[in-house]
Formats: sequence, C-alpha cells, structure tokens
Amino acid sequence: VILLNRLTSMLRWLFRRNRIERELDDELRTYVDMAAAARRRQGIPAAEAQRQAGLELGGLEQVKEQVRQSHSGAWFDRLRFDTRDALRGLRRTPGVACTAILLIGLVIGGNTTIFSMVYGILTKPARGVQSSRLVTIGSSVNGQPDPAHTYRDYLEYATNIKTVRSLLGHQFERFTLTLPTGSFAFRGALVTNNYFETLGVPLVRGRIFTDSESGLDDSGLVAIVSYRVWQDQFRGAEDVVGQHVMLNGHPTTVIGVASAGFQGAWLTETSQVWVPLLAYARLARQEESRLGGLNVIGQLAPGVSLSAAQNEFHAISLQLQSAYPDTNRNRTALVLPYSVTAGGNSIVAQRGSLFLAIFSVITMLTVVIVCANVANLMLARAAVRQRETAVRHSLGATRIGIVRALFIEGLLISLAAWVGACIFAWWTSRVVAAVIPPAAQGSALPLDFAPDWRVVSYAMALALLATIAFTLPPALRLWRQDVLPWLKAGEQGIIQGRSRLSSALVIVQLALAVLLLTGAGLAYRSTSLISRRSLEFETAHLTLTTVSTTGAAANEESNRALLESLRERLRSAPGVQAVTYARSTPSMPDRTWRMDPVRTNPSEMPRPSWVNVVGPDYLKALGLSPVAGRDLAADDTDAARASAIINQHLADALWPGQPAVGHTIQLRPGHAPVEVVGVTPNALFSGYGSETRPYFVFLSQHQEPAPPGDMSFYVRHAGAPDTIFPAIGRALKDVDARVPIVYMRALETELNTNTWPIRFISLLLALFASGSLAIAAIGQYAVIAFDMKRRTRDFGIRIALGASPRQLLSAALGEGLRWTAIGLLIGFGLSLGAGRAFRSVLFGITPTDASTYLGVFVGLTITSLLACYLPARSVSRIDPIKALRQE
Amino acid sequence: VDRLDIPQGTLDLMILTILTREPMHGYGISQRLAALSHDSFQVNPGSLFPSLYRLEQDGKLKAEWRASENNRNAKYYKLTASGRKQLEHHRQRWDRIAFAITSVLEGA
Repeated sequence: VILLNRLTSMLRWLFRRNRIERELDDELRTYVDMAAAARRRQGIPAAEAQRQAGLELGGLEQVKEQVRQSHSGAWFDRLRFDTRDALRGLRRTPGVACTAILLIGLVIGGNTTIFSMVYGILTKPARGVQSSRLVTIGSSVNGQPDPAHTYRDYLEYATNIKTVRSLLGHQFERFTLTLPTGSFAFRGALVTNNYFETLGVPLVRGRIFTDSESGLDDSGLVAIVSYRVWQDQFRGAEDVVGQHVMLNGHPTTVIGVASAGFQGAWLTETSQVWVPLLAYARLARQEESRLGGLNVIGQLAPGVSLSAAQNEFHAISLQLQSAYPDTNRNRTALVLPYSVTAGGNSIVAQRGSLFLAIFSVITMLTVVIVCANVANLMLARAAVRQRETAVRHSLGATRIGIVRALFIEGLLISLAAWVGACIFAWWTSRVVAAVIPPAAQGSALPLDFAPDWRVVSYAMALALLATIAFTLPPALRLWRQDVLPWLKAGEQGIIQGRSRLSSALVIVQLALAVLLLTGAGLAYRSTSLISRRSLEFETAHLTLTTVSTTGAAANEESNRALLESLRERLRSAPGVQAVTYARSTPSMPDRTWRMDPVRTNPSEMPRPSWVNVVGPDYLKALGLSPVAGRDLAADDTDAARASAIINQHLADALWPGQPAVGHTIQLRPGHAPVEVVGVTPNALFSGYGSETRPYFVFLSQHQEPAPPGDMSFYVRHAGAPDTIFPAIGRALKDVDARVPIVYMRALETELNTNTWPIRFISLLLALFASGSLAIAAIGQYAVIAFDMKRRTRDFGIRIALGASPRQLLSAALGEGLRWTAIGLLIGFGLSLGAGRAFRSVLFGITPTDASTYLGVFVGLTITSLLACYLPARSVSRIDPIKALRQE
Repeated sequence: VDRLDIPQGTLDLMILTILTREPMHGYGISQRLAALSHDSFQVNPGSLFPSLYRLEQDGKLKAEWRASENNRNAKYYKLTASGRKQLEHHRQRWDRIAFAITSVLEGA
C-alpha cells in the first residue's frame, strides 16, 4: 500500500507539478498570515507583526526547497537537471558528441546485426511451427553426434517415454510429383502420422493421416502438400483434396494442404510434400526393421524439465544398447531444445556456425576499438574542462555529483547511438538476408533475421556496456583530480605529463586494427587465389542439369537405360558438343563426393581418393583428353571387369614411373577390384578444395548402376546459357515427361555459389578492417594533436632555446611512432594466434603468409606516420613569441 | 524561554499525536506543539512542512482545504487509519525507550 501511495504521489509530482507548487505556496502564505495575525492580537503593530512572521517561516523559497527535496519524486527533478546539464555540456562540444554517437552507433549496429542473425538461426522455430515446449531427440555414438535414429528405436521411445509426448519421426525424401500438367521435382519428407499435430501446424484443407493410411491400407498412398504446391501446381483448386497424382511413380491421393509458410520442421528445410513413413517404406518394399535415418521431435509433458526428459531417454537408450548390440553399441540419446536444432544439419547451419563465430569476433574487436577511441575523446574533453570541474568542485559539487554528470553525458550519447544502431541493424539484416545465395538446389531459404525485442535489448545492453567502458577513464581522472592547482592556474597553466591511460588506449586500437587487417589480408589473398586459380578444365560453356528419375524408372536397370536414352537425345540437341552424367558435380568435395581408400593390394597404405560414378564421355564433356589410355565409353558394361579412370597424381602415387593403364586397384572394402583403363590430367574435378594434390577415381555408371534418384548431366555447348537451357529442357521432355529438372545452372554459377562464403567473409573483413584502421589512425592523430596543443608553451621554450624545427619534428614523430611499433608488435602476436582459427577457411595460403604481414606493416606504418606527422608539423612551426605570450 | 531541539525521529510522533484529536492546519500544529511542550519545542517550518508532506505522501495523513476558524482558507491535515496504526506503533516504541532510559538513569 505504501508503495502504491508513493507511486501515485510520484506520478502526481511529475504530472501535476504546477498545482502542487501552487498549493504549497498558498499553504506557506497562510502560515505567515496566521502567525502575523496572532502577533497582531498580542498588540504588535501590523508591519512589525508581518516581519516577525516572515522571520519565523525563515524564507519562503528555502522552506519550499526543503519540502521538494523530501519528496520521493525529487529524484526525477535531479535527473532532469542533470540531463539538462549534460545536454548543455554536449552542445558545447558538438563535434565530440557527434563523433562519439556516430562511432558507437555504427559499431553497436554492426554487432547487433550479427546478433540478430545468430539469434535468427539459433533460436527461432521453422516457419509455421506453432507448438511450444518442443524438444529434439538426438543421439551420440562414442561422443560423436549422430542425429538419426532407426525406426525401431523410435518405436521403443514412443511407447516407453513418459516425459515427452507425441514423439514424431521424419526423414527427408525427394519426390517427383506427376500431374496432367507435367512433372515437378520437390523435396519432401516421410513422416509419422502425428507429425502435423505435434508441430502444431494446422491444415488449411483436408485432414492429417489416419493410422490405417500410415500403414498403407486399401486407399493406397496418401500425401499432404504445401500451400505453395497447392497454389502453384494445383492452381489453388478447391477440389485439391481427393485428387489423384503420381508420386515417384506411385498412384497417390492428396488428402490435405499444410498452412501457408510451413516447409518442414527445420528452419532451412524446403519440403513441399509429406507422405506417411511406413506406407512409403512398404511400397518401396523396405523392411521395417531396417528403416533408419529418422529425426525425432517431441513435446515435453507439462511440468517436466529438460533434464528429467534427458534422464529418461538416457535410461532407455542404455536398455536399447544391450538389446541391440549390433546397431546401438555406445549409442546414447540426447534431448535438446527444438529451437537450437531447428537449423538442422543444413548448409546454413554447417557453414553458418563458422561464419558467425568469425563475425562475432570481428565485431567484438571493433567494439573494443571504438570504445577505446571514444574513451580517449572523453579523456581529452575532460582534460579541457578541468578548470570547469575545479570551479564546480569549489562551489560545492560533490565528486559523485561530477562523475554522475559525466555518466549521464555518456548515457545520452549511448542512447542516441542505440536508436541509430537499431535502425541500422534492422536495415542491414534485411540486406544480408537478401544477399545470401540460394541453397544448392536453387530454392531460397525462408530466413527471418528481422530484429525483435530481444535484439533491441541486446543492443541496449551493448550501449550500456559501451557507456561504462568509455566513461570510466575520464571518471577515474576526475576522481583523482586536485582542486586547487586548477583554480590558481591560468588557461594554459598546468602541463600534465601525457596520460598513460590514453597511450594505452591508442595502442589497444592499433593492435586490434593490425589483427583485423591481417585477417582481411589473408582472406583477400585467399579469394584472389581462388579467382585466379583454374580448375584445369574448361569451365565456360558447361551446363549442369540435375534431374530426378524416381518417377520414370523403377529399378537400377531401367534407370540406366533411361539415363542413356536421355544422354543420346541431349547429344543431338542443337549447339551441344558433348554430354555425360555423374552422381557428383564440381562443388565442395566434402558435401557430395564420396571418399574411398584406394590401394593396389591389401597390405598397402590406402590413399584416400574422391570417387565419382560417371557416364560415357566424361572427359570429353570436361574438354579434357586422357594422358594415357582412354575415356569411359558406352560399351564399358561388363560388370565383372569393372573399369576406371584415375588422375595423374594417383597414378604417380600408386605406380611411380610406370604406366598405370592395365593395373587393378582396390576401393572400399567389399567393392570388386577395378581395372585402370585411362589416366586423366590433374584437374580439380570436385571444385575448389584445400588439398594441393587430390586423388580421383571415376567409375563407369554402366558397371555400377545407381537406383533411380538424382543424376546430373554435364552438357558442353557452344552457345550462351539462355539459348541452351530451353533446348535441354525440351530434349529431356521429349524422352520422358516424367523426368523433372531439379536444378539447372551454368557450372560457373555453381562455382561462384561455392566460393561465396569466403568472398563474403573477406569482403566483410576488409570493410571492418579498413574501418578500424581509419578509427585507430584518427584516434592516434587526435591524441597526439591534443597533446601537442597542450604543450605549445613547452615547445615554444624549446624553440626559443635554440631547438631546430627538424629536431622538434623528429622528437614529436618519434613519440607517436613508438606507439605504432608497440601496436604492431602486439597485433602481429595476436594475428599469429588467430591464424589457427582462420586456417580452415583459408584457401591456398598459410596463416603466416609473409606478404600479407609485410603489407599490413607497410600500410599501418604509413597511416600512422601520417597521423603523427600532421600534428608534429604544426609543432615545428610554433612561433615562440606567441607561444610564450599566451600566459 | 529556553528552547530545546526536537530529538531526532520524534517530530512525526508528535505531529501524529496532535492530529488524533482533530484535523489541523500547519500553523495550528506548530502552535499546539509549542503549547503542549510549554514552549520548550518550537518547530521550524523548514522541518514541519517536509514532515507533513512526507506523511501525506505515505498515506498517514490526508489533507483538504477548508475555511479556518477566522474564515481563511487553509490546508487541514487529518489522520488516516494507516496513520493511526503508525502512531500506535511509534507510541509503544517510544514508551519502551522512555522507560528504558528512565530505568538506566535511576538505577545508576
């Protein structure tokens, strides 16, 4: 009740101030009148009575002030006065204030952008998912994370677990959807029938799967499609539910449409079709006990903590270990909040964590640099105002009061910077989301980086931290300051030694700028090497077309025949020079290429080699001719005598100095030996990688036929891509309209997409690094210039005593450059340490690349020299008479 | 008359006590205090008014403007229920303190 009373009276104090003041005035005047009247009754003359009464009150204004101060709302008054004071102070030095706001606003803005991206990826659920308290059940084998579960384990968990309800399982699958209007390739998922219910995704049409449907009853295969498929492929037809379509060659009935925006349980998933898991497995004649690769998500039961669920899952996973030792050895279950796993193991999540780690470090460094810089600005400002503060002190201001005023000035600066930063972050996160290239299959990721209240409060926390960081140094200085000397001295009076604090701050800025510059230099060298490096085969005029054969071929044999007829038809398309097909394309090798241990006999050390299964004319399509032997051909069909071509590096490693053709090699255990029929030049078949001498083995598609699925055609052509793309599309449709194009792109586009991360990092690094260098240089300049100006008299005396301008110049330069030297030394030390972290993203150079370091050394020294020279030159031109007269 | 300083913390107690009988204005309170203390305490308006405002703010007193005995408009302070409780509490405390001090002085 007291609190409430106080609050209302505080609010009254704030908003009905005039009335309160008037009442107080009336009340006190009444008091005086009454006191005077009492005296008059005692016989004192009216005038004297009034005077005595006034004396008794003891000054109207003083009493009012005492009343005001005792009021709990008085706190606001003090704040208001302090704020007004601080605003005046800032307005007196608008340059300093604006610079500080700009610097801090920019750096917090940059930092907040990164945060909103991390936050967007790590904490937001996938679009359309509305359930709360979701958890992801992962597993780990020997401490290595392995997110997938077998269907059998899923069933065990689903029936036994009490702490997590409605456990769902889902698995990714590619679908070819065939409608009367054409065939379309989609990503999709095989799901348990509680999938939509558990995730809290409503259907806008139809219904979810029933138990009998999920077990494949007489109704056949059923599917739920995304809102987008409904709109685009079914043209928003009201009778979409119940329509019959073909899905991967199976007759299927559409039974529902998911709500708009939903594209699967993972943030970066782009699923458009959902099919009951068990029904699909039965159609594909897979054994239930061998179903695997399931991602499992569930909902925590009310009142259950994450650790309780973890304990229960752990206990059951131990039981499963002993029940199924062959599949579950050392496998334990992990329960994680769904939000942190929503990124899944997608491209963004994989590359993203490294990106974000690097970005966070960069932006944090820039925050430190900027805070150091602004702290120096504030220090200089405090030094100029030393006389002012001394006067305030002597007029009775307390030290706490003076420091509080300083802090409030800092807060005002940060407040302005914070507003700017939020706007900046909102804008940049939109730009960044737009700049992220489409994922490998050409579908845009539905990422939402828009800042929300958490991001805004993060920026606020940063702003507060920055305030403390840059007001602390001047506050310390003020706290220790003596009063008297400053009052006695004239404007130019006391020459303090240069503050050790401000030199340290300059050195910190220089050192961190060096660190960022080295990082940017290394990244730039790396990207320029990539753009100059050739894959050693002709990358222009090569188009990659990935198709899906699941809807058109039933087994490996028909798949092979289909691929061969597609190839024949493509070869006769206008402008086409050579065609082949392969499972993997030149991209980041670790993503789609398989790696096998290769040796000539079982006792030899295996050589890890990249393996691709390719069609005929592979080398011809790449524009290469074999160094020895021949290319793979359409008649390499003898499965018993499998043939392979290998690259020159592998041939040299296996049979140094001997011809490789005719020898046999062993691949992964269980694979039949293959005969080397050709040797290729050393091209980078798998795209840019960090290996200098990669090994390659190419197997014939005809001898190792793949089941129906994705396959990429390499088409070498004469004309421009925009003429060849439609030609390829028509050619494929001619052969079989049930074969949809998953993704068509020029090879060079694909390569650019793959090198995008490092190009983007290096661009960003360059931006941040040059910004920091500029800030650090300006910081150094400012501190030196300020220092020189304070010591004008000192230099005047030196000149009067016969020092030459040259001597002064070199003395002043020497002082400044000493900082640069220390900064460089520390910065290089830090860079060498950070080089380890950069190693994994660097391509083709080592983290100790000498020319980068030399470049940074030269660049920083020149910038720094300039920053020191300008103020030093003005010192050498001091007129001693003027300098000394200034007293 | 030789005046005494008002001991710290007792002004609130005395104000509340004076207001138990009837609502009063500021001047009346200071006059009553002087009369009751046989002119030993003369409260300074610089202390009286801050105290009154604080007590009002805490809900111990309620104020209203009305005509005084000689027809002036004045701000009258009235004890609230919460103020009465506070007074009781302070009063008990004060009695214990007074008793304790007296006991010490007489026992010595």
